Amino acid sequence: MAEGVDTPTAILAHAAAALREHPFDDISYRTLGDAVGVSERTVYRHFPTRSHLLEGLAGWIEATEFPFPPFVTMGQFQDAARARFHAFDSSPAFAFVCARAATISPTGEAEPTFFTRALVAMLATNHPSLNERDLRRVAAALRYFASAPFWARMRTGFDMSAAEMEDVFDHTVAQVLGDRWRASETEMGASRRDGR
Amino acid sequence: MTVPATSDADAQAASDVSRTQEAILAAYAELIEELGTDDVSFRLIARRAGVGERTVFRNYPTRVDLLLATAAWIEQRIFPRQESTSIFDTPLAIRAAMESYDQRPELAHVVAETTMRGISGAAPSPRRARLEQMIDAEIPSLGRAERIAIVAALSHLDSAATWVTFHREFGMSRRDIADAAAWAAEAVLDPVRSRVG
Repeated sequence: MAEGVDTPTAILAHAAAALREHPFDDISYRTLGDAVGVSERTVYRHFPTRSHLLEGLAGWIEATEFPFPPFVTMGQFQDAARARFHAFDSSPAFAFVCARAATISPTGEAEPTFFTRALVAMLATNHPSLNERDLRRVAAALRYFASAPFWARMRTGFDMSAAEMEDVFDHTVAQVLGDRWRASETEMGASRRDGR
Repeated sequence: MTVPATSDADAQAASDVSRTQEAILAAYAELIEELGTDDVSFRLIARRAGVGERTVFRNYPTRVDLLLATAAWIEQRIFPRQESTSIFDTPLAIRAAMESYDQRPELAHVVAETTMRGISGAAPSPRRARLEQMIDAEIPSLGRAERIAIVAALSHLDSAATWVTFHREFGMSRRDIADAAAWAAEAVLDPVRSRVG
Protein backbone atom coordinates (compact mmCIF):
# COMPACT_ATOMS: atom_id res chain seq x y z
CA MET A 1 0.00 0.00 0.00
CA ALA A 2 1.26 3.43 -0.90
CA GLU A 3 2.26 5.60 2.05
CA GLY A 4 0.33 8.60 3.21
CA VAL A 5 -2.88 7.49 1.54
CA ASP A 6 -6.08 8.36 3.40
CA THR A 7 -8.37 5.57 4.59
CA PRO A 8 -11.12 5.85 1.92
CA THR A 9 -8.51 5.86 -0.84
CA ALA A 10 -6.79 2.83 0.71
CA ILE A 11 -10.15 1.04 0.87
CA LEU A 12 -10.82 1.79 -2.81
CA ALA A 13 -7.33 0.67 -3.86
CA HIS A 14 -7.89 -2.63 -2.05
CA ALA A 15 -11.33 -3.03 -3.55
CA ALA A 16 -9.83 -2.48 -7.02
CA ALA A 17 -7.15 -5.11 -6.30
CA ALA A 18 -9.85 -7.52 -5.10
CA LEU A 19 -11.75 -7.02 -8.38
CA ARG A 20 -9.01 -8.95 -10.15
CA GLU A 21 -10.12 -12.06 -8.23
CA HIS A 22 -13.79 -11.56 -7.36
CA PRO A 23 -16.86 -9.89 -8.82
CA PHE A 24 -17.80 -6.63 -7.14
CA ASP A 25 -20.81 -8.14 -5.38
CA ASP A 26 -18.60 -10.71 -3.62
CA ILE A 27 -16.24 -8.16 -2.10
CA SER A 28 -17.22 -7.83 1.56
CA TYR A 29 -16.79 -4.81 3.81
CA ARG A 30 -15.11 -7.05 6.35
CA THR A 31 -12.42 -8.17 3.89
CA LEU A 32 -11.79 -4.57 2.90
CA GLY A 33 -11.48 -3.51 6.53
CA ASP A 34 -9.06 -6.37 7.26
CA ALA A 35 -6.96 -5.51 4.22
CA VAL A 36 -6.64 -1.86 5.19
CA GLY A 37 -6.32 -2.50 8.91
CA VAL A 38 -9.52 -0.72 9.99
CA SER A 39 -12.78 -2.03 11.40
CA GLU A 40 -15.74 -3.00 9.26
CA ARG A 41 -17.57 -0.09 10.88
CA THR A 42 -14.98 2.33 9.58
CA VAL A 43 -15.53 1.01 6.05
CA TYR A 44 -19.27 1.57 6.52
CA ARG A 45 -18.64 5.06 7.81
CA HIS A 46 -16.87 5.99 4.57
CA PHE A 47 -19.17 4.01 2.27
CA PRO A 48 -22.58 3.72 3.96
CA THR A 49 -24.07 1.54 1.19
CA ARG A 50 -22.72 -0.65 -1.59
CA SER A 51 -23.86 2.04 -4.03
CA HIS A 52 -21.47 4.46 -2.32
CA LEU A 53 -18.70 1.90 -2.60
CA LEU A 54 -19.48 1.26 -6.27
CA GLU A 55 -19.43 4.99 -7.06
CA GLY A 56 -16.23 5.55 -5.12
CA LEU A 57 -14.55 2.59 -6.74
CA ALA A 58 -15.57 3.68 -10.24
CA GLY A 59 -14.22 7.16 -9.55
CA TRP A 60 -10.91 5.69 -8.39
CA ILE A 61 -10.72 3.40 -11.44
CA GLU A 62 -11.64 6.18 -13.90
CA ALA A 63 -8.91 8.39 -12.48
CA THR A 64 -6.14 5.81 -12.25
CA GLU A 65 -6.89 3.34 -15.06
CA PHE A 66 -9.00 5.12 -17.67
CA PRO A 67 -8.14 8.82 -17.64
CA PHE A 68 -9.76 10.62 -20.57
CA PRO A 69 -7.02 12.72 -22.21
CA PRO A 70 -7.83 16.40 -22.76
CA PHE A 71 -9.40 17.19 -26.13
CA VAL A 72 -10.20 20.46 -27.89
CA THR A 73 -11.18 19.19 -31.34
CA MET A 74 -13.67 16.61 -32.53
CA GLY A 75 -10.83 14.48 -33.89
CA GLN A 76 -9.08 14.42 -30.51
CA PHE A 77 -12.35 13.55 -28.79
CA GLN A 78 -12.92 10.61 -31.15
CA ASP A 79 -9.36 9.36 -30.74
CA ALA A 80 -9.67 9.53 -26.96
CA ALA A 81 -12.99 7.66 -27.00
CA ARG A 82 -11.60 4.93 -29.26
CA ALA A 83 -8.47 4.55 -27.10
CA ARG A 84 -10.65 4.13 -24.05
CA PHE A 85 -12.64 1.27 -25.64
CA HIS A 86 -9.31 -0.54 -25.98
CA ALA A 87 -8.36 0.27 -22.40
CA PHE A 88 -11.76 -1.10 -21.27
CA ASP A 89 -11.09 -4.27 -23.30
CA SER A 90 -7.82 -4.86 -21.46
CA SER A 91 -9.43 -4.47 -18.01
CA PRO A 92 -13.03 -5.66 -18.39
CA ALA A 93 -13.66 -6.11 -14.66
CA PHE A 94 -12.78 -2.45 -14.09
CA ALA A 95 -14.80 -1.30 -17.09
CA PHE A 96 -17.95 -3.12 -15.95
CA VAL A 97 -17.68 -1.42 -12.56
CA CYS A 98 -17.53 1.96 -14.33
CA ALA A 99 -20.53 1.02 -16.50
CA ARG A 100 -22.54 -0.04 -13.45
CA ALA A 101 -21.62 3.07 -11.48
CA ALA A 102 -22.67 5.26 -14.42
CA THR A 103 -26.18 3.79 -14.33
CA ILE A 104 -27.03 3.27 -10.63
CA SER A 105 -29.33 5.61 -8.83
CA PRO A 106 -26.90 8.32 -7.68
CA THR A 107 -26.22 8.44 -3.94
CA GLY A 108 -25.88 12.22 -3.90
CA GLU A 109 -26.75 15.16 -6.06
CA ALA A 110 -26.37 13.99 -9.67
CA GLU A 111 -23.82 16.17 -11.40
CA PRO A 112 -22.40 16.15 -14.89
CA THR A 113 -18.92 14.68 -14.99
CA PHE A 114 -15.91 16.70 -16.08
CA PHE A 115 -15.91 14.70 -19.31
CA THR A 116 -19.44 15.95 -20.14
CA ARG A 117 -18.55 19.57 -19.44
CA ALA A 118 -15.41 19.29 -21.58
CA LEU A 119 -17.42 17.83 -24.44
CA VAL A 120 -20.05 20.57 -24.33
CA ALA A 121 -17.33 23.23 -24.22
CA MET A 122 -15.51 21.65 -27.19
CA LEU A 123 -18.70 21.56 -29.27
CA ALA A 124 -19.69 25.11 -28.34
CA THR A 125 -16.24 26.41 -29.27
CA ASN A 126 -15.98 24.54 -32.56
CA HIS A 127 -19.59 25.10 -33.60
CA PRO A 128 -20.48 28.58 -32.35
CA SER A 129 -23.50 28.80 -34.65
CA LEU A 130 -25.09 25.66 -33.22
CA ASN A 131 -28.38 26.42 -31.41
CA GLU A 132 -28.79 25.37 -27.79
CA ARG A 133 -31.10 22.41 -28.44
CA ASP A 134 -28.96 20.90 -31.17
CA LEU A 135 -25.83 21.45 -29.11
CA ARG A 136 -27.28 19.48 -26.20
CA ARG A 137 -28.68 16.74 -28.41
CA VAL A 138 -25.35 16.29 -30.20
CA ALA A 139 -23.40 16.41 -26.93
CA ALA A 140 -25.74 13.92 -25.23
CA ALA A 141 -25.46 11.42 -28.08
CA LEU A 142 -21.67 11.73 -28.33
CA ARG A 143 -21.28 11.42 -24.57
CA TYR A 144 -23.46 8.35 -24.45
CA PHE A 145 -21.67 6.55 -27.28
CA ALA A 146 -18.25 7.29 -25.75
CA SER A 147 -19.25 5.87 -22.36
CA ALA A 148 -18.51 2.71 -20.38
CA PRO A 149 -22.18 1.66 -20.72
CA PHE A 150 -21.77 1.71 -24.52
CA TRP A 151 -18.69 -0.50 -24.23
CA ALA A 152 -20.53 -2.86 -21.85
CA ARG A 153 -23.58 -3.21 -24.11
CA MET A 154 -21.52 -3.77 -27.25
CA ARG A 155 -19.39 -6.37 -25.49
CA THR A 156 -22.16 -8.34 -23.79
CA GLY A 157 -25.03 -7.86 -26.22
CA PHE A 158 -23.07 -7.95 -29.48
CA ASP A 159 -19.84 -9.83 -28.60
CA MET A 160 -17.87 -6.93 -30.03
CA SER A 161 -14.20 -6.16 -29.52
CA ALA A 162 -13.01 -2.57 -29.07
CA ALA A 163 -12.07 -2.44 -32.76
CA GLU A 164 -15.60 -3.46 -33.78
CA MET A 165 -17.26 -0.95 -31.46
CA GLU A 166 -15.11 1.78 -32.96
CA ASP A 167 -17.04 1.25 -36.20
CA VAL A 168 -20.40 1.65 -34.45
CA PHE A 169 -19.09 4.69 -32.60
CA ASP A 170 -17.66 6.34 -35.74
CA HIS A 171 -20.80 5.62 -37.73
CA THR A 172 -23.03 7.13 -35.03
CA VAL A 173 -20.81 10.18 -34.54
CA ALA A 174 -20.84 10.90 -38.28
CA GLN A 175 -24.63 10.61 -38.42
CA VAL A 176 -25.26 12.70 -35.32
CA LEU A 177 -22.97 15.46 -36.52
CA GLY A 178 -24.34 15.24 -40.06
CA ASP A 179 -23.64 18.25 -42.22
CA ARG A 180 -22.21 20.16 -39.27
CA TRP A 181 -19.20 17.85 -39.30
CA ARG A 182 -18.53 18.39 -42.99
CA ALA A 183 -19.20 22.13 -42.57
CA SER A 184 -16.64 22.41 -39.76
CA GLU A 185 -14.10 20.41 -41.77
CA THR A 186 -14.48 22.96 -44.57
CA GLU A 187 -14.25 25.86 -42.13
CA MET A 188 -11.09 24.40 -40.67
CA GLY A 189 -9.70 23.92 -44.16
CA ALA A 190 -10.65 27.48 -45.06
CA SER A 191 -9.06 29.03 -41.99
CA ARG A 192 -5.92 27.04 -42.59
CA ARG A 193 -5.79 28.44 -46.12
CA ASP A 194 -6.50 31.97 -44.87
CA GLY A 195 -3.69 31.71 -42.35
CA ARG A 196 -1.21 30.89 -45.02
CA MET B 1 -25.75 -21.26 -4.93
CA THR B 2 -27.33 -21.25 -8.32
CA VAL B 3 -25.73 -21.13 -11.70
CA PRO B 4 -25.70 -17.50 -12.87
CA ALA B 5 -28.76 -16.89 -14.98
CA THR B 6 -28.00 -16.45 -18.66
CA SER B 7 -29.59 -13.63 -20.65
CA ASP B 8 -31.95 -16.04 -22.36
CA ALA B 9 -33.00 -17.49 -19.06
CA ASP B 10 -33.77 -13.97 -17.84
CA ALA B 11 -36.04 -13.24 -20.74
CA GLN B 12 -37.66 -16.62 -20.24
CA ALA B 13 -38.09 -16.01 -16.53
CA ALA B 14 -39.90 -12.75 -17.10
CA SER B 15 -42.40 -14.26 -19.47
CA ASP B 16 -43.45 -17.22 -17.36
CA VAL B 17 -43.32 -16.26 -13.72
CA SER B 18 -45.70 -18.00 -11.36
CA ARG B 19 -48.28 -16.05 -9.44
CA THR B 20 -46.17 -16.31 -6.28
CA GLN B 21 -43.11 -15.05 -8.11
CA GLU B 22 -45.13 -12.22 -9.61
CA ALA B 23 -46.20 -11.17 -6.11
CA ILE B 24 -42.58 -11.26 -4.90
CA LEU B 25 -41.23 -9.29 -7.87
CA ALA B 26 -43.99 -6.70 -7.70
CA ALA B 27 -43.40 -6.30 -3.96
CA TYR B 28 -39.66 -5.83 -4.43
CA ALA B 29 -40.20 -3.31 -7.26
CA GLU B 30 -42.55 -1.37 -4.99
CA LEU B 31 -40.06 -1.41 -2.12
CA ILE B 32 -37.21 -0.31 -4.41
CA GLU B 33 -39.22 2.79 -5.25
CA GLU B 34 -39.81 3.46 -1.57
CA LEU B 35 -36.42 2.55 -0.10
CA GLY B 36 -33.86 1.97 -2.86
CA THR B 37 -32.24 -1.39 -3.62
CA ASP B 38 -29.93 -1.56 -0.63
CA ASP B 39 -32.12 -1.44 2.42
CA VAL B 40 -34.74 -3.97 1.48
CA SER B 41 -34.58 -7.22 3.45
CA PHE B 42 -36.02 -10.52 2.22
CA ARG B 43 -38.24 -10.43 5.26
CA LEU B 44 -39.76 -7.13 4.26
CA ILE B 45 -40.27 -8.35 0.70
CA ALA B 46 -41.95 -11.51 1.97
CA ARG B 47 -44.28 -9.53 4.18
CA ARG B 48 -45.21 -7.12 1.38
CA ALA B 49 -45.80 -10.03 -1.03
CA GLY B 50 -47.88 -11.91 1.53
CA VAL B 51 -45.69 -15.01 1.43
CA GLY B 52 -43.25 -16.65 3.82
CA GLU B 53 -39.62 -15.63 3.84
CA ARG B 54 -38.66 -19.20 2.91
CA THR B 55 -40.80 -18.96 -0.20
CA VAL B 56 -38.78 -15.96 -1.33
CA PHE B 57 -35.51 -17.84 -0.74
CA ARG B 58 -36.81 -20.95 -2.50
CA ASN B 59 -37.60 -18.91 -5.63
CA TYR B 60 -34.64 -16.55 -5.44
CA PRO B 61 -31.75 -18.03 -3.46
CA THR B 62 -29.62 -14.89 -3.59
CA ARG B 63 -30.17 -11.16 -3.65
CA VAL B 64 -28.62 -11.01 -7.12
CA ASP B 65 -31.06 -13.65 -8.42
CA LEU B 66 -33.93 -11.64 -7.04
CA LEU B 67 -32.66 -8.33 -8.43
CA LEU B 68 -32.13 -9.71 -11.94
CA ALA B 69 -35.56 -11.35 -12.00
CA THR B 70 -37.12 -8.12 -10.76
CA ALA B 71 -35.32 -6.05 -13.41
CA ALA B 72 -36.62 -8.38 -16.14
CA TRP B 73 -40.12 -8.18 -14.69
CA ILE B 74 -39.94 -4.35 -14.54
CA GLU B 75 -38.86 -4.10 -18.20
CA GLN B 76 -41.75 -6.34 -19.22
CA ARG B 77 -44.53 -5.04 -17.02
CA ILE B 78 -43.69 -1.45 -16.15
CA PHE B 79 -41.85 -0.40 -19.32
CA PRO B 80 -43.46 -2.48 -22.08
CA ARG B 81 -42.68 -1.51 -25.68
CA GLN B 82 -45.33 -1.14 -28.28
CA GLU B 83 -44.27 -3.58 -30.98
CA SER B 84 -42.77 -1.69 -33.94
CA THR B 85 -43.61 -2.95 -37.40
CA SER B 86 -40.98 -0.90 -39.20
CA ILE B 87 -37.39 -0.02 -38.33
CA PHE B 88 -38.45 3.58 -38.98
CA ASP B 89 -40.89 3.31 -36.05
CA THR B 90 -38.03 2.82 -33.58
CA PRO B 91 -37.47 6.53 -32.90
CA LEU B 92 -41.12 6.77 -31.84
CA ALA B 93 -40.80 3.68 -29.64
CA ILE B 94 -37.66 5.16 -28.09
CA ARG B 95 -39.42 8.44 -27.40
CA ALA B 96 -42.26 6.61 -25.63
CA ALA B 97 -39.80 4.45 -23.67
CA MET B 98 -37.90 7.53 -22.41
CA GLU B 99 -41.16 9.06 -21.22
CA SER B 100 -42.06 5.92 -19.30
CA TYR B 101 -38.59 5.66 -17.72
CA ASP B 102 -38.88 9.25 -16.59
CA GLN B 103 -42.08 8.46 -14.72
CA ARG B 104 -40.38 5.72 -12.65
CA PRO B 105 -36.78 6.90 -12.16
CA GLU B 106 -35.76 4.39 -9.47
CA LEU B 107 -36.95 1.48 -11.57
CA ALA B 108 -35.27 2.88 -14.68
CA HIS B 109 -31.96 2.90 -12.79
CA VAL B 110 -32.44 -0.72 -11.71
CA VAL B 111 -33.13 -1.81 -15.28
CA ALA B 112 -30.17 0.17 -16.59
CA GLU B 113 -27.67 -1.04 -14.01
CA THR B 114 -28.52 -4.74 -14.22
CA THR B 115 -27.73 -4.73 -17.96
CA MET B 116 -24.21 -3.45 -17.21
CA ARG B 117 -22.99 -6.55 -15.37
CA GLY B 118 -21.65 -8.59 -18.28
CA ILE B 119 -22.84 -12.11 -19.00
CA SER B 120 -23.97 -12.72 -15.43
CA GLY B 121 -26.33 -9.74 -15.62
CA ALA B 122 -29.54 -8.98 -17.49
CA ALA B 123 -29.61 -9.04 -21.30
CA PRO B 124 -28.35 -5.63 -22.51
CA SER B 125 -29.92 -5.77 -25.98
CA PRO B 126 -33.23 -7.59 -25.65
CA ARG B 127 -34.65 -6.12 -28.86
CA ARG B 128 -31.66 -6.86 -31.08
CA ALA B 129 -33.27 -9.81 -32.92
CA ARG B 130 -36.42 -7.82 -33.63
CA LEU B 131 -34.39 -4.90 -35.02
CA GLU B 132 -32.43 -7.25 -37.27
CA GLN B 133 -35.64 -8.83 -38.50
CA MET B 134 -37.17 -5.47 -39.41
CA ILE B 135 -34.05 -4.10 -41.06
CA ASP B 136 -33.56 -7.29 -43.13
CA ALA B 137 -37.18 -7.21 -44.28
CA GLU B 138 -37.16 -3.52 -45.20
CA ILE B 139 -33.63 -2.91 -46.46
CA PRO B 140 -32.33 -6.27 -47.67
CA SER B 141 -29.59 -4.60 -49.72
CA LEU B 142 -27.87 -3.16 -46.65
CA GLY B 143 -24.18 -4.07 -46.25
CA ARG B 144 -23.08 -6.11 -43.26
CA ALA B 145 -21.07 -3.35 -41.54
CA GLU B 146 -23.78 -0.74 -41.90
CA ARG B 147 -26.46 -3.17 -40.75
CA ILE B 148 -24.66 -3.99 -37.52
CA ALA B 149 -23.78 -0.34 -36.89
CA ILE B 150 -27.43 0.67 -37.14
CA VAL B 151 -28.80 -2.22 -35.09
CA ALA B 152 -26.17 -1.74 -32.37
CA ALA B 153 -26.74 2.03 -32.19
CA LEU B 154 -30.52 1.67 -32.01
CA SER B 155 -30.21 -1.04 -29.33
CA HIS B 156 -28.03 1.27 -27.29
CA LEU B 157 -30.47 4.17 -27.64
CA ASP B 158 -33.53 2.06 -26.88
CA SER B 159 -32.53 1.41 -23.29
CA ALA B 160 -32.90 2.72 -19.77
CA ALA B 161 -29.21 3.73 -19.73
CA THR B 162 -30.05 6.44 -22.29
CA TRP B 163 -32.56 7.95 -19.90
CA VAL B 164 -30.09 7.68 -17.01
CA THR B 165 -27.22 9.32 -18.92
CA PHE B 166 -29.24 12.17 -20.42
CA HIS B 167 -30.88 12.81 -17.05
CA ARG B 168 -27.72 12.65 -14.96
CA GLU B 169 -25.14 14.16 -17.29
CA PHE B 170 -27.27 16.82 -18.93
CA GLY B 171 -30.03 17.45 -16.40
CA MET B 172 -32.57 17.14 -19.18
CA SER B 173 -36.33 17.19 -18.57
CA ARG B 174 -38.60 14.33 -19.65
CA ARG B 175 -39.49 16.12 -22.86
CA ASP B 176 -35.87 16.90 -23.71
CA ILE B 177 -34.67 13.35 -23.02
CA ALA B 178 -37.42 11.89 -25.22
CA ASP B 179 -36.60 14.41 -27.94
CA ALA B 180 -32.83 13.92 -27.82
CA ALA B 181 -33.03 10.10 -27.84
CA ALA B 182 -35.55 9.99 -30.70
CA TRP B 183 -33.55 12.59 -32.62
CA ALA B 184 -30.35 10.52 -32.32
CA ALA B 185 -32.23 7.44 -33.54
CA GLU B 186 -33.52 9.41 -36.53
CA ALA B 187 -29.96 10.52 -37.29
CA VAL B 188 -28.76 6.90 -37.18
CA LEU B 189 -31.50 5.93 -39.66
CA ASP B 190 -30.97 8.89 -41.99
CA PRO B 191 -28.59 7.25 -44.48
CA VAL B 192 -30.92 4.31 -45.14
CA ARG B 193 -34.17 6.23 -45.35
CA SER B 194 -34.30 6.19 -49.13
CA ARG B 195 -33.06 2.63 -49.57
CA VAL B 196 -36.16 0.68 -48.60
CA GLY B 197 -36.99 -2.37 -50.74
